[in-house]
Amino acid sequence: MAIGTAPAAPLTPAVFAILLSLSEGEKHGYLIMKDARAPEGGGLHMGPGTLYGSLDRMMRDGLVEESGASDNERRRYYRLTGLGRVALGNELERLDATVSSARSLGLIPHGGRP
Amino acid sequence: MTLIPANSGRLERLYALALRLYPERFREAHAPAMRQVFRDALNDSTLPRRVLIPLILRDLAASLAKEHLAMLRDTFARPVLLYNALVLTGLSTGLALALYAIPQQVLRQGANDPQIAMATDLVSVFEQGDIADLLQQGTLPGLTAGSGGVDMARSLSPFVIVYDDQGRPLASQAQLDGKAPALPSGVFDFVRQHGEERLSWQPRRGVRIAAVVQRVGGAHPGFVLAGRSLREVEVREEQVRQMAGVTWIGMLGVILVGTAAFGWYTRPKTA
Repeated sequence: MAIGTAPAAPLTPAVFAILLSLSEGEKHGYLIMKDARAPEGGGLHMGPGTLYGSLDRMMRDGLVEESGASDNERRRYYRLTGLGRVALGNELERLDATVSSARSLGLIPHGGRP
Repeated sequence: MTLIPANSGRLERLYALALRLYPERFREAHAPAMRQVFRDALNDSTLPRRVLIPLILRDLAASLAKEHLAMLRDTFARPVLLYNALVLTGLSTGLALALYAIPQQVLRQGANDPQIAMATDLVSVFEQGDIADLLQQGTLPGLTAGSGGVDMARSLSPFVIVYDDQGRPLASQAQLDGKAPALPSGVFDFVRQHGEERLSWQPRRGVRIAAVVQRVGGAHPGFVLAGRSLREVEVREEQVRQMAGVTWIGMLGVILVGTAAFGWYTRPKTA
């Protein structure tokens, strides 16, 4: 993906979980992993390799950046960029449309799961 | 079960060793932070070791493969490298084709040399008189009416066949299946217009002849064909083809190794 362009295709679960976690503010690696593991964060059991591989590519694509803040010389904090926020918004809209479509087909009860 | 801190330290050291398996650029950029994440996970009381350890092992297997593939892609799939390799491959292919085509043509054209001399000499004789009379008088040794003794399918000896103006064989030093073979009429038409034709003639499957056909002018026109088997020439052409093929494969190997080495030494080294 060219820098400066939000990804058009569906995001990978790891990228989506990272963007969702960082939408609350800057966080370090383990906090992102923990958020992703939670059901509301996607329920994604992601290890450090997947996390930093994804962060590496997301930084290259301009979706996230290191904030520079640190409470430990090895702990790094990350935050969303404007482009990352756009990518997250696009993905949420896509998912919302998918869920609405599934709901209109009766696949999901109105008001959420029973 | 709760591990004592000493076990945590050992697990962290093991994980630090495993981090050495990542590609250099990735390791330099992220290994300390990954080690810190692992330490944080070990210290997280909500994450049992029986969940964490399999997660880490699966993650190592998947992300090591992914990062090494990404490293290979970044190192060797750069457009400049691929473009250079493509250009060099094109040049080496052209060179290998030339290495085959030039000697092949030299061999093939050289195979006509004795026949050109034979046909030219015979035409000059026939232009002094009547072809049929000269043949009947036996003025040309070895050239008799009907077909001669050279077996075109087996012999490597040069031979001559004389045709009348309609392209019918009058005399021949060679035979194929017991008779002097007829040439395609298009060859005679061409020679009538141009005086000479040099061709690879295949009178029968597996029999290829380097033939030179010349026009006999004057009051009693006709044609003289001088030919000889291309069998040995084609063996040499095959040897040239094999040498050119081996040279081409060798050049492709050098390009592959050179491109890989150049890609490795010029790989991106910073995150």
